[in-house]
Order: sequence, then C-alpha cells, then structure tokens
Amino acid sequence: MSRDSAAPNEEYEALIQFLYLAPVGLVQAGIDGQIAMMNPIAAQLLMPLSRDGGLDNLFIALEGVAPELRCLADRHEQPAGKICDGLHVHLNAGGAKRGPQILSLTLLKLDASRMMAVISDITEQVRRERRLRQNEAWLNAILTGVTDYALISLDLQGRICEWNPSIGRVTGFGADIAGQPYAIFYPDDAITPEHQQDRLREADANGWALDEGRRLRADGSTFWGSALIAPLPDREPLPGDDDATPAYCLILRDIGDGRAQRERRRDAAYTDHLTGLANRRALFEAAQLELDRSRVNPRPTAVLVIDADHFKAINDRHGHPGGDAVLRHLAGILGDSFREVDLVARIGGEEFAVLLPSTGLARANTVAERLRASVAASAASFDDNRIEYAVSVGVAVASDGGASVDLLLKHADAALFTAKRAGRNRVASWPLAPQADAHQPENPDAP
Amino acid sequence: MTVTPISFDTPDLATRLDACSPEELDALDFGVIGFGPDTLVHRYNAFESEAAGLSPQRVLEQPLFTNVAPCLNNFMVAQRFEDAQDDSSVLDATLDYVLTLRMRPVKVALRLLANPGGATRYVLVQRQPR
Repeated sequence: MSRDSAAPNEEYEALIQFLYLAPVGLVQAGIDGQIAMMNPIAAQLLMPLSRDGGLDNLFIALEGVAPELRCLADRHEQPAGKICDGLHVHLNAGGAKRGPQILSLTLLKLDASRMMAVISDITEQVRRERRLRQNEAWLNAILTGVTDYALISLDLQGRICEWNPSIGRVTGFGADIAGQPYAIFYPDDAITPEHQQDRLREADANGWALDEGRRLRADGSTFWGSALIAPLPDREPLPGDDDATPAYCLILRDIGDGRAQRERRRDAAYTDHLTGLANRRALFEAAQLELDRSRVNPRPTAVLVIDADHFKAINDRHGHPGGDAVLRHLAGILGDSFREVDLVARIGGEEFAVLLPSTGLARANTVAERLRASVAASAASFDDNRIEYAVSVGVAVASDGGASVDLLLKHADAALFTAKRAGRNRVASWPLAPQADAHQPENPDAP
Repeated sequence: MTVTPISFDTPDLATRLDACSPEELDALDFGVIGFGPDTLVHRYNAFESEAAGLSPQRVLEQPLFTNVAPCLNNFMVAQRFEDAQDDSSVLDATLDYVLTLRMRPVKVALRLLANPGGATRYVLVQRQPR
C-alpha cells in the first residue's frame, strides 16, 4: 500500500480526528445505500448488525432491524430533504445483552445520487421518556376531565360486588352484573382470565394498576376507557362474611376526548409503516410485559414467527411494489386471524411475529396451521396479476416464565428454519422433533 | 540467531511484541495498537499511524475505546478485553471487521491479544484484499 508519505498536514489531521471522535455516527452513501464514507461511531453501532462481516451498504446493514428504509428512500420524491428524522430502530429486546437497544436514525437526501445518515444510541433517552409517559398517564387518569366515572367494588377474584347507579350511567349495565368478572367491561378476546388476575396482582404490588383501551357498554357499543384498580384496606373477609367482600376499587372512565391524540402518538412509535401492523418495538415491549407477568402468575406464552416463502423470487419477478403488495396482503390475513388480545407485528423484511398470551403449544400449532392454510388458499393481487404465495411458520412456547424474549424468538426462529428446510409452506415448532434434527445420522452403520 | 520473522498470525504474538523496540514495531506490515489495563494507548506503530492518518502524539496516552478507536467500543471488541480481564483468561482471537480509516470503510482482520497480568494488550490490524 503506497501512500504519499509527506508529513500529514496539521490542519487536515485535526479535521480527521474531529470526525473520528464525533460522538454520533455519520455515514455518506449513494441513494442505493452503498456506503462511501463513515466515521467510527457509525461502524461501532452498525458492525454488530452486519450479517456478512462487512459494511458496504447501509440498507443491507439495517435490513434485519429497519426493513422499511429502502422503501422510504425510494418513495421520497423531493429532489432533496429528510427521508426520515429520528426514526427509532429497535435492535433487540434487551435482557442480558449489553450495548445499544434502540438507535435513532436520520436520513438526509442530498441530491438524486447521495444521502447522509446520522445514527446515535438513544437507549437511555427512550427509557427516561417512557418513565415520564407513565407518569403522564397516571396524572391523566387522576386529574383531567373528571366529568363522570363508574366506581365499582371488586372482590379478591375480581368479581363485581354490587351494582350502583354510576355503573349504569357510564356502561349501561344493570343490577344483574353483580358477581360477574370485571372482564365484562372488555370486548370479546381483549382480555384473558390471566390478564384480569395480573392487574389485581399489580395493584397489590404497586398500590394501583392502570390501563387504557377499548371498553364495552351493555348495548355492545364500545368507548375508550381508562381503568384504575386500587386495593382496599381491611379487605380480608371476616368469619361469617360472604365471598363478595370488596377487596379492590375499580374506577372506570370514558376518556373518548383524548383518545385520538393519544392513539396517533402511539401509532407513530409502535406501527410498521408499510403494513399498519405493530412494529418490532411494540412486539418486544408487549412480549417483555407478558413474560414478566407470567412469572408472577404462571401460564404459557406462545410466539409465532411467520416468513413469506420465496419472497426474493416474488420481488425479482414483480418488483418491489409487487413484493409490497404481498406483504400488505399477508398483513391483512394476519390482522384478521387472531384474537384482540394477541399482538401481530412485522419484525423484518418479510418476517412477521404474533404474540399469543395464555396459549400452549397445541393451540399455538392449531392457529399456526390455520394461518398457513388460509394464506395458501388465497392470493395477493397486483397490477391485475394474482400472486400466489405461501408462508412458513415457526412456533415456540415459554411455559415456565423463565425464558427471555430473545430466547423465545430464537426458538421460534429455529423452528421456522426447520420448516423452511423441510420444504416450506409448513409449520414447525420448538423443541424440534427428533427426525427434523436427524438430517445427518452420525453413525448410520452402528449396530 | 534464527528467529522467525513476525507476521500477523505468528503464535504467542503478544510476548514477541512485548520484546520489540518501537523501531521494530514500525517495520511491521500490519497495524499495532498496544494499550494498558487502563485502556491508555502506549504503543502505536507507523503502519497504523499512516493508515489512520494520525500521528502518534495525537494517540499516545489517550483511552483507546473512547478517544482513539470508538468503532471498537462494542461487544465484539471492547467487551472481549473486559471479559478476559474479569476472568483472568488469555485472549487471542481473530475476527473480520470494518474500520473507518480516513472515513473510508475498510475491511480488515483484527487480532485481539491479552495475557492475564501482561502490561500490554494488543489490537492488530491487517488489511484484507477486497
């Protein structure tokens, strides 16, 4: 390697060192993502994501964690300007692994052929903001717009102790709801019996438990409600008392006014751009919460990882817009196939995942097989073409609450790999069946 | 005296490098960065200086993972040295990496060397043919 060996110019050297030491990642790349220049922090943050040991292309380096980037850049029609600004990129679910979990990414289009990227590790910043948001939700629940509320007493099991007029005003339910579980205020499939217990346990542990979401009136209509559960003092039933001794108080409020704004904010941070499904961040947070809760109140938690078969061939044949049509079609089927309490997310280019609370292996396999069959029986339409395609599904279940989110996803991925290797368009589950692993008998001639 | 010449993949290289004079390090055809348990750089050879475009006085006595080569400050490199120090184990690992020499991404092989109790740990850098 021959280089001009003249003593380095002092000013040039200072400038080089300024870029070496800048505490954010800087990248200059072609509009196709091909990297021309980058500074050390960019390499520090991107190298752990590289699947081939290289950093030739920014889109490829980030493909596994931000699959939408290339599409965002393609769709940016202005001659120059920001393609994305502070996009949150979720790397893994955290847990034991040290290092960044969330990156912020800004892409600036310079002209038709070049762009620049700014990348930084915002893991700590996001954590702080999340704590602030929780405080905000807590204050919202207590302080804002208290026009009307239902005050409901619950027994130790979460059953409604007795009816009162405030319940009638807010929900329309009558006196016959005494003795019913408080899940009666939730739409079908929006809460499991275990989740009901979780909220009570959280109230025991923290002094309160708060959640927000769609709630049900007696006439079947829904409203956006905030529910606060707090344990009551002196709640142990005395000898001779009946079971329906109040143990918790539930305050249920219709907060329809603030809903649109809150949903928009949540959508931007938790939604996949292309499909409208939840994104990686939403899946990781929901899975972490579910596993945390299942350690307190044990029950199985299932994860499906779903991958569109031969997706590269679909892209090659129909172009990226054709591939996008398939992804949207698949997202539509996924969105219609699961319970409201399940979470469906897009976690990679053509990879999706579904979190199934309180679901064991047998049931997870059944819904996975039903999903596989309904994809195989339909087709996406694009430019007057029918694109037929299939999916492979990997299933994994955490039964003891001891698994981490990363491990559960890893097991589901291993099962998915087995399904792919066995010929695609099929479902495989973890732990892998012995015959699936026995592709190469170590000693076939042994007696 | 017949001593085999030093190359990037010479066995037991940390001991050999410890015995090298600065001039001998400068004669090597791969980059050598030596640093202490406090991560302060105290050896920096001519090959690495030329490749990075930094003269030794800008680098020596600076903490490696924050002020000299922040690109190595992740679980692939910095963590390996920390783990070796915590376990008092020998570290001798070679991995493919990308350095940003003069802001150009350059594929390299890194060799990470640390002996428990040794005064100097090494990151060695060899350019890879593209």
